[in-house]
Amino acid sequence: MPFRELSGKLVEAQVVPGQRLFSQRGAMVGYRGEVTFTPNVQGGQGGLMSMIGRRVAGEATPLMTVEGNGTVMFGHGGHHVEVINLDGDTLCVEADRLLAFDGSLQQGTLFLGRDGGVMGMVRGQVSGQGLFTTTLTGRGSVAVMAHGGILQLPLTPGHPVHVDPQAYVAHFGDVRNKLSSALGWRDMVGRGSGEAFQLELNGSGAVFVQASEEKL
Amino acid sequence: MTSQTPHGSVPQGYQVFDAATLPANDNVNPYAFSVDLDGQWFLQKGKMIAYYGQIDFQGIGHGRLDGLVAGSFHSPLHAADWVVAEGRGKLLLADRAFDINSFDLEDGNLTVRSGNLLAFDPALTLKQSIIPGFLTLIGTGKFVAASNGEVHFVEPPVRVDPQALVGWADCPSPCHHYDHQYMRGVLGGMRAVTGLGGASGEEHQFEFVGAGTVLIQSTETLLADRSTGQVPQQAGVPGDGGSGGAGGPGGQQLPQLPGQLGGLQRRFGL
Amino acid sequence: MAQLRLQGTKVLAATLGGGGDTVKAKNGSMVAYDGEMTFKKLSGGGDGVRGMVTRRLTGEQMTVMEVKGQGTCYFADRASDINLVRLAGEKLHVEASNLLCTDGGLRTGTTFTGLRGASQGNGLFTTSVEGTGWAAVMSDGPAVLLRVTRDTPLQVDPGAYVAHQGDLRRSFQSGVNFRTFMGEGSGESFQVRFEGDGVVYVQPSERNTLGGDV
Repeated sequence: MPFRELSGKLVEAQVVPGQRLFSQRGAMVGYRGEVTFTPNVQGGQGGLMSMIGRRVAGEATPLMTVEGNGTVMFGHGGHHVEVINLDGDTLCVEADRLLAFDGSLQQGTLFLGRDGGVMGMVRGQVSGQGLFTTTLTGRGSVAVMAHGGILQLPLTPGHPVHVDPQAYVAHFGDVRNKLSSALGWRDMVGRGSGEAFQLELNGSGAVFVQASEEKL
Repeated sequence: MTSQTPHGSVPQGYQVFDAATLPANDNVNPYAFSVDLDGQWFLQKGKMIAYYGQIDFQGIGHGRLDGLVAGSFHSPLHAADWVVAEGRGKLLLADRAFDINSFDLEDGNLTVRSGNLLAFDPALTLKQSIIPGFLTLIGTGKFVAASNGEVHFVEPPVRVDPQALVGWADCPSPCHHYDHQYMRGVLGGMRAVTGLGGASGEEHQFEFVGAGTVLIQSTETLLADRSTGQVPQQAGVPGDGGSGGAGGPGGQQLPQLPGQLGGLQRRFGL
Repeated sequence: MAQLRLQGTKVLAATLGGGGDTVKAKNGSMVAYDGEMTFKKLSGGGDGVRGMVTRRLTGEQMTVMEVKGQGTCYFADRASDINLVRLAGEKLHVEASNLLCTDGGLRTGTTFTGLRGASQGNGLFTTSVEGTGWAAVMSDGPAVLLRVTRDTPLQVDPGAYVAHQGDLRRSFQSGVNFRTFMGEGSGESFQVRFEGDGVVYVQPSERNTLGGDV
């Protein structure tokens, strides 16, 4: 069920019996009808092990289940909201950027540290994000938050796009990512241009970037 | 479409305004409002970004304005945060790049979150609402309010997150709604025993029924506001009793007298 | 010459054609790029002794990086709106922290506005940009452009001032008849007055001051 964008910062969703919705806790702005909001003890799907996995991964973003019959408005912190419609694709997104999404989407966690080892660790450190990101797969809509507007950059094979890890929001498609260091040591110690690390994305799909280096 | 000025180019798509072409009592863009001043207006401190003409700003409480204040301003808690602009000219108002809307009241009433109200015509009367943190404007005239994201207008019945509420007009009965199903339910019990699960954050809303309009913004505490009366833990959430840090301890708040630090005090949490 | 264009209102795209194409941008403002780019930190605040003084006083506030390469580089800073100006020889004065990006061929320098600004933590440094090419100026919310003529001077809150061009004199004006009850200043106690002939850019916000968020 799609989200309707009321403004750049508010979305509205229809809730019908039998279909649930997940949203970030505290993101409900208003509602009509009979709708209940239940905190997710499990932290999404997948039971206790998944929850522990998420906690370890630093992805324990509190979600709540939205069920009932009515319309609900979502918004959070005055952040810009972008609705991404998935048609069988997999969206890879940091959990704390998820405002709300269809309950029918399959949730998972992806280990981003493809290179593993030290570089993987460094990536997590640099972006301040976990090594795991949330993946959402299937058909449905996802409302994603960003500071400022969102820029969508298409990815085509052979033309890598480099992204500031702080400005990275989400990506989908068949994409490989690695963290690259653009500078030598001299630049990194105190005299850097502020662009010491970049997330390099290569493949086919698209990456979403926000107009800010501030994390949510 | 770069337009030329005698001094070179200006950014693409921009219009250069001057004292004559600035709108009169209308928005310049979604984030700035131009007041065509000829007389007096009340405005919250620090919201003026520029002006043309001869305009004086006076603190509320200044002797000469006693009559005006007695007639239009009935909120001692907010007196230190407001000034009177007096004179002739064009005055530009803005607030942290939030959306700015002007509202025309015609023999009506509208209640608005205190931090969202930027300015009003002294033809209106300002009073403190009985809901903490809100101010009520009564009468006929124009006022200007800010919101984080566009204001969304909703007709009752609707339940609104307290932090997302900008205000309401003509609604007879704003009241609290608690999600008792959650409180009593299996999850609530489990939370009480294990501490796991937490709250959904949505157990409490403001409920509006009857005829009227409710104004909603994209949410939250980004607009600092001054609670009137008891200071709740969260913006607009009564009954918490604790101190919000800004208003003074123990839910007690003294009226803000002119001469106190006002905005600065609030900003630094003194 | 580098081509600058806006992608929406908050992201700037700079297309560099290789060779000697460069842009100067605020340190750390790159959000993404494709192609090949190198980033090098420059010392900000202009050249010479004045630039040195500026650098010392502003710390890292004004550091600038030089971006060189071939491809498209995207810049953004704290969700600020971006105003793109094409200069054809004239001079633009910008509040130092509001300058996002300039064509590598533009000359930048620093002007001292005077110490009255020091107490407020803003209005202290203005960067001047001169030459032919694109300059990108940031504002918190879309800027409002206000014309100043000989008959209509303009008063601006220092926190809302972004940039100006033309033949303008600036003066600080304090206490516009502030007789408050018990001596409290009333928020707008201090303004910048512009007289002459030109255009002033103001932002619909008073947050972005050089001295920080006060």
